[in-house]
Amino acid sequence: MVIVLIVLFAATLVYFFLSERVSNFIWLLAIQGTLLFGIAFNNLIHIQLLGLIVILLETLIVKAIIIPWFLNRLRHQNQLKRVHESKVPVFYSLIIISAVLIGCFLMSYTINNEVIQLRFFTVALATVIGGMYFIIIHKNIFSHLVGFLIIENGAFLLSLAVGGEMPFLVSLAVLLDVLIAVLVIGVFMNKVKDTFDTISASKLSQLKD
Amino acid sequence: MILLFFGIAFVLSLLIFLFANRIIMAVGSTLFVALHCLLTVYSYKNLDSFDTVYYQFDSLSVLMNALLSILLVPTLFHSNLYFKRHVKDVKSETRFAAIMIILATALSSVYFAENIVLMWVSIEATTLCMTFLIFHNRYETPLEAAWKYLFLSSVGIAIAFLGILILATQATSPEGANLSVSYLASVAQKMDPFFLKTAFVLILTGYSAKLNVFPFYAGTIDAKTVAPSPVNAIFSTAMINAGFIAIFRVYTVINQTPLNSWAQNVLLVTGLISISLATIQLFRIKRYKRMFAFSSMEHVALILITISAGKAGYYAALLHLVFHSFIKGGLFFQFGQVRAFFHSGWIKDTGSYFKLNPTGALAFLLGIISVTAIPPSGLFITEFMIFKALFSEGFIVTAVAVLIMMTIIMYFIISKTMHLLFADLPENFKPDAVFANRLEPVSQFVLFFAVIYMGFNPPAILTDLIKQTIQLLN
Repeated sequence: MVIVLIVLFAATLVYFFLSERVSNFIWLLAIQGTLLFGIAFNNLIHIQLLGLIVILLETLIVKAIIIPWFLNRLRHQNQLKRVHESKVPVFYSLIIISAVLIGCFLMSYTINNEVIQLRFFTVALATVIGGMYFIIIHKNIFSHLVGFLIIENGAFLLSLAVGGEMPFLVSLAVLLDVLIAVLVIGVFMNKVKDTFDTISASKLSQLKD
Repeated sequence: MILLFFGIAFVLSLLIFLFANRIIMAVGSTLFVALHCLLTVYSYKNLDSFDTVYYQFDSLSVLMNALLSILLVPTLFHSNLYFKRHVKDVKSETRFAAIMIILATALSSVYFAENIVLMWVSIEATTLCMTFLIFHNRYETPLEAAWKYLFLSSVGIAIAFLGILILATQATSPEGANLSVSYLASVAQKMDPFFLKTAFVLILTGYSAKLNVFPFYAGTIDAKTVAPSPVNAIFSTAMINAGFIAIFRVYTVINQTPLNSWAQNVLLVTGLISISLATIQLFRIKRYKRMFAFSSMEHVALILITISAGKAGYYAALLHLVFHSFIKGGLFFQFGQVRAFFHSGWIKDTGSYFKLNPTGALAFLLGIISVTAIPPSGLFITEFMIFKALFSEGFIVTAVAVLIMMTIIMYFIISKTMHLLFADLPENFKPDAVFANRLEPVSQFVLFFAVIYMGFNPPAILTDLIKQTIQLLN
């Protein structure tokens, strides 16, 4: 079951590079959040109830509902429909992300560590690298925010891969911190759009000497 | 005690924010600074003891918190001047004060955190507070700077979190992953070198935005270019110290293993790239605050290079960090006055500052002498010790290269300062618009003279704390 969810998660990662519609990005993030909920629920069912509640809250409520809802609001407020201006053609991006997935798969099997669950680790690492690549190839700050959220999802999957069960209070603090960071980034994105009348990162260059 | 401090700080911040009243703001802010000083004294009295399982008052955290307490006093005074000059409404003032309190509290949490995840959470909190403070002047460039800082710092912090997670794989105890610094140091010998190396590189990369060094320095430099002067005084000192402490904690872990020399090489490379970038960027510098930001980058890079020299450089590096905090804080406070005279941060818009404001100009000059490590600055003493350590440890090529770059940096900083002090008065200068306060340079003179005094005669309390910190590495 978990393997199916992980494969689906990897498929969403590839689909991020196929898509150009902003609404698709939001849907994909919501799907990733739901998949993470399924993976976490299957993997962490044995841990303390409070810890489990926080983790499930983080995935299902925050990653699959609140953040996509918030992004959708941003999309409507800023009238975003399509992201046209990727610096790299879709075809090349697909090759690159596939190579990243295969590379991570091969690399992770050279790791000899009992603690790490390799089935998560492979996709987690590819997701983090994919998120960074997503930020690099896009020019607008909404896509940058999506890339940041992909990295966050990769980090969450990595936390499952290493099986590190953090104390309840620390998990809660991490959850709140990430949520607030995303909300603040969203608020600032709105302000950028209002002030500069665009969300293109190339317009944010007044501070250069 | 520390949780009580956090609770009171939060309540004070909330009261200031909600009531939006100048009297409540003044009383609340003063009370907070007094409480912060009290926390420093309490932590010193309880040195090496734990406060809850997540916080510990060790020598380095006490030292960094003491620096923040000292800097908060003039920050309170200079924030008031900043309000009079640049802020139109009481709501903006109270919002600034409320966020500043949360920022200082989060910084203290970073310093005292014994658990690296809690430290990570606190660092993220400082990013959010700092973003709002950068954007306090609500026009285009602060928005651009705030966005860049927020985004780059957030990505950096996410990368640091990956490093922490990888470290967690090596820190499993019977109760689950234990990420307290003392536990990590105790099991460091058993860790897999590959994972430890990866974690160190990721954490160093992630926190580089806080430390103002390569690779995530760009957002920080832009933010410092436009942030209000009192914010910059904390940003370029206490925030850098927070980044330093975060990396130092992981360094203490890796230092217990044979990977120590590898980690030192990583710090050396980071330091060398950073100081090279600072030197290159200063060739085209056009704004004073940006110049100071690159100067901070230079000093932090020098500290990293010194740590890479090993034991011989630890004392000099830590003393350099302390002195840099005093000097950079003072310089940013003085620049608040410079900006009040010229209504601009651009170098081309300034001149004849010695004629316009001799006391302020003298403070500025003293600050520049101090920051460029010209005698009698305390930084001259620390840099002397740094180069002694580098030469004695065989880093001759590195030391010579760094000396050359520092000479270039010194030339640019002094030439731009000469422009401010002695160039012709700019054509668009409006003498009527100047709002000067005669007491304004006092804090800067105190900070700069303190560095001169401590350079020649470092107080026992300071040297003891530094020596105890070095023992953490042995």
